[in-house]
Amino acid sequence: MPVSDRELASLAATHDIISVGMLADDVRRRHHGLQTTFVRVADVSADVDAPVSVPAAAGEVRVVGTPASRAAAVERVRQVAATAPGIALSAFSLSDLEELAAREHVPLRAVLEELHAAGLDLVAQAPVDRLRHARRSIEEINISGLVLARLTVDQTSSADPLPFLKSVVELQRAVAVIRAFAPLPRRINAAVPTTGYEDVKRVALARIVVDAVPSIQVDWSLYGPKLAQVALTMGADDVDGVSAEGESTEGRRRAPLEEIRRNIRAAGQEPVERNGRFEVRG
Amino acid sequence: MMIDRIAEKVRAGERLSGDEALELYRNAPTALLGRLADAIRARKHADGIVSYIIDRNVNYTNVCVAKCNFCAFYRPVGSPEGYVLGFDELFRKIDETIAVGGVQLLLQGGHNPDLPLTWYEDLFRAIKRRYPSFKLHALSPPEVIHLSRLSQLPVPTIIDRLITAGLDSIPGGGAEILVDRVRRLLHCDGKATADEWLGVMRHAHHAGLRTTATMMYGTVETDQERLEHLLRLRALQDETGGFTAFITWSYQPDHTELGGREATGVEYLRTLAIARLVLDNVDNLQASWVTQGGKVGQLSLAYGANDMGSVMIEENVVRAAGASYCMDEVEIVRNIEDAGFVARRRSMHYEILGDPIFREREVPRMLELATARAAGDTSVPEELLNYPARSRAGKQRRVIPN
Repeated sequence: MPVSDRELASLAATHDIISVGMLADDVRRRHHGLQTTFVRVADVSADVDAPVSVPAAAGEVRVVGTPASRAAAVERVRQVAATAPGIALSAFSLSDLEELAAREHVPLRAVLEELHAAGLDLVAQAPVDRLRHARRSIEEINISGLVLARLTVDQTSSADPLPFLKSVVELQRAVAVIRAFAPLPRRINAAVPTTGYEDVKRVALARIVVDAVPSIQVDWSLYGPKLAQVALTMGADDVDGVSAEGESTEGRRRAPLEEIRRNIRAAGQEPVERNGRFEVRG
Repeated sequence: MMIDRIAEKVRAGERLSGDEALELYRNAPTALLGRLADAIRARKHADGIVSYIIDRNVNYTNVCVAKCNFCAFYRPVGSPEGYVLGFDELFRKIDETIAVGGVQLLLQGGHNPDLPLTWYEDLFRAIKRRYPSFKLHALSPPEVIHLSRLSQLPVPTIIDRLITAGLDSIPGGGAEILVDRVRRLLHCDGKATADEWLGVMRHAHHAGLRTTATMMYGTVETDQERLEHLLRLRALQDETGGFTAFITWSYQPDHTELGGREATGVEYLRTLAIARLVLDNVDNLQASWVTQGGKVGQLSLAYGANDMGSVMIEENVVRAAGASYCMDEVEIVRNIEDAGFVARRRSMHYEILGDPIFREREVPRMLELATARAAGDTSVPEELLNYPARSRAGKQRRVIPN
């Protein structure tokens, strides 16, 4: 049942975090039942001179960092694609690619098509609050034969999340290709970090408001297992950023795969591993 | 159906049986557990106040003969990493604590065979002489039992002598899980059996002290044994009414002999919530942000907690096992108010002392926890020479060189 603007305003203002979480959990169950997906990611530097090491368990290889130039971006994608054939390859932030295209006076689509030709599958993230032309740039990803891995938020600017979440609804209505939305900011203010209430409420409201995006995502490594796990009980259904390393220094039982499965089960849900293309892994 | 019926019983304010609590703990949705716990919290604390205390958690020695396999903090007798804090070091820590508005020392340490009862008595007296209104929340039940064995005096005598010297209250540490099967597996039945731990608390309550109660879960115990622990605390509280608060935290496995994994954040919130439902005769439940981090610590306020514990100036034990979260008063108050509650400073007895101190005067920010000792400091306090050592290593150390 759709939630009215008045009800949304009331949910955004309340301190009753459990009620907000229960509503979000209802929406989540409607979309995904009890299944929670996760992806094991191997991060690789955007620096063309840095070594490339991809654990066999990775479901996605992600090139992180800002490329120095268009040529460096293409070269790096080519290098990584050659090292990890068959593994979903994502790279870069769409806002960085927008800037790169502007700096080199070429259309964004040309950059994206070159990256695709070099072996790229997905643009790793589109930080919606940093994009110059959110709708057009996301459409360009699609037209270039690429996929957007997830819509992200770089930095939270407003205390009231509703206008922002509604803008995401509008964006998805226009582009219809956003598969996952990670509503928690990627950049954290160390002096005044967000609180647990703020974070889980933001996740819950994202699930309630942005109904047309299939997955609400939390980042395991950025937000930590405890907060991310609680978010799974309040609307999130997909976990990004699980390490692809096979073993922990503390032994097999504390390896990332065992840990993520244990945490999802302890949240009362069923873990399902996916790859970067959102395909379920054997 | 069964869960609905039990939930209705909780809403009606009726007491839960062990079986009913276990059914909820195992099978109730986390949101329902939170709702029920939050309703009890709101009933007991209708003023919307969430309290905290400014104190310092000082570990006076890490030398310990108990050898619990879940502990990463202790060092055996004779270890070069073993330490004992001197009286002057402790006075300096108290001065620093008072400077930021602190009102008490939470003083706990290892079972060091080279520290006799008189060392504690002299320390407590010296502290009370210098800081008459400063409170000593000190020596958990296993430490009291250790002193009883060391001095061959009964527990009530030890408690009486410590009270005379200045002890104000006893922290609930060392409870772990109050089931002897579990304690044997954790190698901590030697330091105190479940009955012995409860016995110390009973004596303390009869002697007029208020104490806290704790539970460390997530090692080798079953769900049922966690509930048994809570029920044993509830029974003693019915008898004496001496517990001011209950604090639960998850076992921190890093660098311990036992190893293993830490229980998850959701398990913590469920455990906290079920404790609020079972311990219907304990007024205050603390959030363990020290082990869960500030975010889940704050979320605890929606799952039954009404207290954010201590503004930690120093912490050594859980940090040794991998948890090193830090929040100063500004952060704690921000978290309390962000969750919609009213932040108030309190005493060990949960009396409200006032508004946040940083709103009354300038207080330095603390963005990092202090440690018991600076790295590499191996000094031995001079006054230790005045006390007889029991261990061979202790005796050798106390030989005064010519």
